[in-house]
Amino acid sequence: MSLEQFEEMMDSCVRCSKCKYIPQIAIKSKRFSHVCPSIQYYNFHAYSGGGRMIMANAYHKGRLEWTPEMLDVLYQCTNCGGCDVACKWVYDFEPNEVIHELRTLAVEEGVGPMPAHKKYIELVKKNQNPYGEPIEKRSDWLPEDVELDENSTTLYFVGCTASLRREEIARSTAKILNAAKEPFRILGSDEMCCGSPVYRVGDRKSAIEIMSSNVKHFTKLGIKRIITSCAGCFNMLKTEYPRFVEHDFEVIHISQLVDELLKEGRLKPTKEIPLKVTYHDPCHLGRMSEPYEPYEGEKVELLSQVFIWDPPKPLRQGTNGVYDAPRNVLKQLPGVELVEMERIREYSYCCGAGAGCKSAYPDFALFAANERVEEAKSTGANALVSACPFCKTNLQDALSTRDDPMDFYDLTQLVAKSLEGDE
Amino acid sequence: MLEPDVYGKLSAIVGEKFITQSPAILDTYAFQWGTEIESVQRGKEPTRFGTRPAAVVLPETTDEVQAIVKICNEHDIKFKALSTGMGPWAGVSHTRSIQIDLRRMNRIIEIDAKNMYAVIEPYVTNAELQAELFKYGLMHHAQGAGPQTSPLASHTSFVGPGFTSPYTGFSGRNLLGAEWVLPNGELLKIGSYEHSGKWFSGDGPGFSMRGVIRGWMGAYGGLGVFTKAAIKLYSWPAPSDWKWEISGTVPHYEWKIPPYWKMFVLNFTEWEQFEPAFYEVNDHDAVMMASCSSAEGLAGLFTDTKMEAIEAIFGGVLLHAKRYFIVLVTAHTEREFNYRTKLIKAIMEKHGGNDLIEDGVIVPRDSHYAESVRNMLGGHAFRFSNCFQSTHGGMDSISLAVRIAEINQPIKAKYIEKGVIGDDRGEGVWTTAYEGGHTAHLEVPTVYNAASVESCKGYTEYQDECNEVDLQNALGMPFFIVGDKVHDYYGPRTMDYPKWLRKIKATFDPKGVGDSSHYISASKKE
Repeated sequence: MSLEQFEEMMDSCVRCSKCKYIPQIAIKSKRFSHVCPSIQYYNFHAYSGGGRMIMANAYHKGRLEWTPEMLDVLYQCTNCGGCDVACKWVYDFEPNEVIHELRTLAVEEGVGPMPAHKKYIELVKKNQNPYGEPIEKRSDWLPEDVELDENSTTLYFVGCTASLRREEIARSTAKILNAAKEPFRILGSDEMCCGSPVYRVGDRKSAIEIMSSNVKHFTKLGIKRIITSCAGCFNMLKTEYPRFVEHDFEVIHISQLVDELLKEGRLKPTKEIPLKVTYHDPCHLGRMSEPYEPYEGEKVELLSQVFIWDPPKPLRQGTNGVYDAPRNVLKQLPGVELVEMERIREYSYCCGAGAGCKSAYPDFALFAANERVEEAKSTGANALVSACPFCKTNLQDALSTRDDPMDFYDLTQLVAKSLEGDE
Repeated sequence: MLEPDVYGKLSAIVGEKFITQSPAILDTYAFQWGTEIESVQRGKEPTRFGTRPAAVVLPETTDEVQAIVKICNEHDIKFKALSTGMGPWAGVSHTRSIQIDLRRMNRIIEIDAKNMYAVIEPYVTNAELQAELFKYGLMHHAQGAGPQTSPLASHTSFVGPGFTSPYTGFSGRNLLGAEWVLPNGELLKIGSYEHSGKWFSGDGPGFSMRGVIRGWMGAYGGLGVFTKAAIKLYSWPAPSDWKWEISGTVPHYEWKIPPYWKMFVLNFTEWEQFEPAFYEVNDHDAVMMASCSSAEGLAGLFTDTKMEAIEAIFGGVLLHAKRYFIVLVTAHTEREFNYRTKLIKAIMEKHGGNDLIEDGVIVPRDSHYAESVRNMLGGHAFRFSNCFQSTHGGMDSISLAVRIAEINQPIKAKYIEKGVIGDDRGEGVWTTAYEGGHTAHLEVPTVYNAASVESCKGYTEYQDECNEVDLQNALGMPFFIVGDKVHDYYGPRTMDYPKWLRKIKATFDPKGVGDSSHYISASKKE
């Protein structure tokens, strides 16, 4: 891939600013009209999806040289894909892909990623996680009463954040799997980062090395199915891995699995949890998890200046993200009432943590999280629920900074809590 | 680059976070849709990259805008303000220019439900304002440029038809007052606000400057900065407990249509039937929307993706849609609704038409009802090639609109034949009427390919020919009669209006710092 392949779409950007907002038809209030945290925080047009596409185009055409400001603009973006969804309501453009491609180029040309990113990439290479925690600490979360099946072909890929920072999510996930008598294994200290934090900041070469190594490892163990409780890991394994490394294992997020287990009657939540909750769609479980379908076709001029792809090219506009499963689960938990925010599903607002922003631009990350908390509070809910440990970290940071009484739960925590009635 | 002391002064006004001269950021202001056409008109290869401003500033208040403009006067720096900024008129034309990005001025200052007006800042968008107004049972006139664009920009400075024009009129007619930072930095409040602190009338007591600030299509940002505007509001035809609810997933959203709403596509064989029917529908002031397009356009409007549109074109729309216009009837009560729908059917029958929706030729989804009032349908035209632009654009009578359509068809067909613009057989036009059909507007949306040199050049040639045809046949002033050269070409045969425009420019902008590239310079350039 290269910027060259995006030249036509970069030349065709209309600079219409739709990429700054949720799809216009979905706007219910001025307060929550934006989809892009970056333009909201930094304001200059360059900080929008379209703006970055223009910047990439200007660089591609030799109008610009790398500068520290340009790198900031490039990296002060959570790569959340909100702009992509809004843009594709009308156009055939992929601003999020262009942003990622420019990041990749920045790394290839030796100017990117940002120092904070370089630091954690080194830690991933050395310690298998971006937090720099010792490798052996990776299974510290595991309680003794969790039953593992070392011969299982189902792997619970715990991920760095759930293993080392949000251990309660790992514990709840394991508890749910045990309650459903769903056999699984983990990798413990053999588990390597999925590569998401490396990939998202443009270090494609290192990310592909991690992907290849992980796939080789899974294959060697005979893994057929991978369960994740992290939206970032899910996106990588399900959506990004197949773009670079061949594999044939099934990837499923815990929200999807719980939805299935509830339907099959293998999980019976009985304990009443009197809670009014609102659900935050993680970008990487929602719009960004839509798979890339391999496409081979040609552009045909059907009518004068009207081109179509033959055969039709998949739109990849967020239609097929995981939106219903977590909601189905919440609706089945006794006592839980789900109320929706204005920005949901494929036009959900990002928590602000992703693509290296939490480490390199914590003020921006916190701004976005606060925006989301404000929206959550506007629903009248007393708890915010999501399905991603990294979203949890950032949104919980926002709640703590504000000293806000609103509770935060990962979906797995609520499910595990509701299963306690069985005990 | 600005001199360090000038940059320092500007930075002191807005704060260092809100000024930049980083080329990477500046280039995102240099790039504009439509600049490729203007570059061809200047004899260059098509490109959307125009002039890079020397700096961009992001003021938050009117005081800051005034201070910025005064610095520009002091140091001979040109400026251009923009809101969402979509088109070459939003950009600057001199390298010693700054761009005043009004993004931080995004407040709805007041919604006066009783007196039916709203006071807004420049970066409030149509969709945002509409969403808030519905809560009061009100709506505003949103210009066709789209829901993400600025109603203030359109009401004060730029064109202004929209999909709801039969009900809500034309932007310039809805302006009830404005707060205006003149090109010399002084502040002027126009309309009744200056007199009473209330914005109920654009024409006083107090200064009425609506003709001065807008002229025909607006000054395109060449006459200072409008920092607040009061705009007229209209009753929103839905029950008070009705809420804007969207469900589903892209691309097919579902919308709860208010109770007394119905869409028609009144189809006629010839313009001779279309014209009186269009007059009558508008004359009765009974519809929210009445506008026409080609068969291809109809398929584009009432589908959700390009492929769906193409399937609809060849699946029957092309065969059945002739001279049609889409009508959206809305009403507050069942009785009103019954009267209006009967009226539309009677007009249709009287002129020998048929309803393409009733015939099942095309069936709008409920989301298309939402898109019609949110002024999103025009955006569907981008789906065919990611780009379109409009030629003609005159505002006169319905008869003249029809005449333009007839004259334009063979011209457009010629360029379609050359393969440089989108194929709608030359039939693609868009018309709407205002104020009971008293006036009407016609433009010719034309699909081209911005990434193709031949298409850009071909479209430019077509647009130039349309402008010439308008002049030769007295079809009204087209959209893109902008800048000295074009004004001076049109002037001698249109009552020498540029002379008056220049007097306005010279009076209000004595130092010529307001970028005049899409307006006019104070003195004629030989």
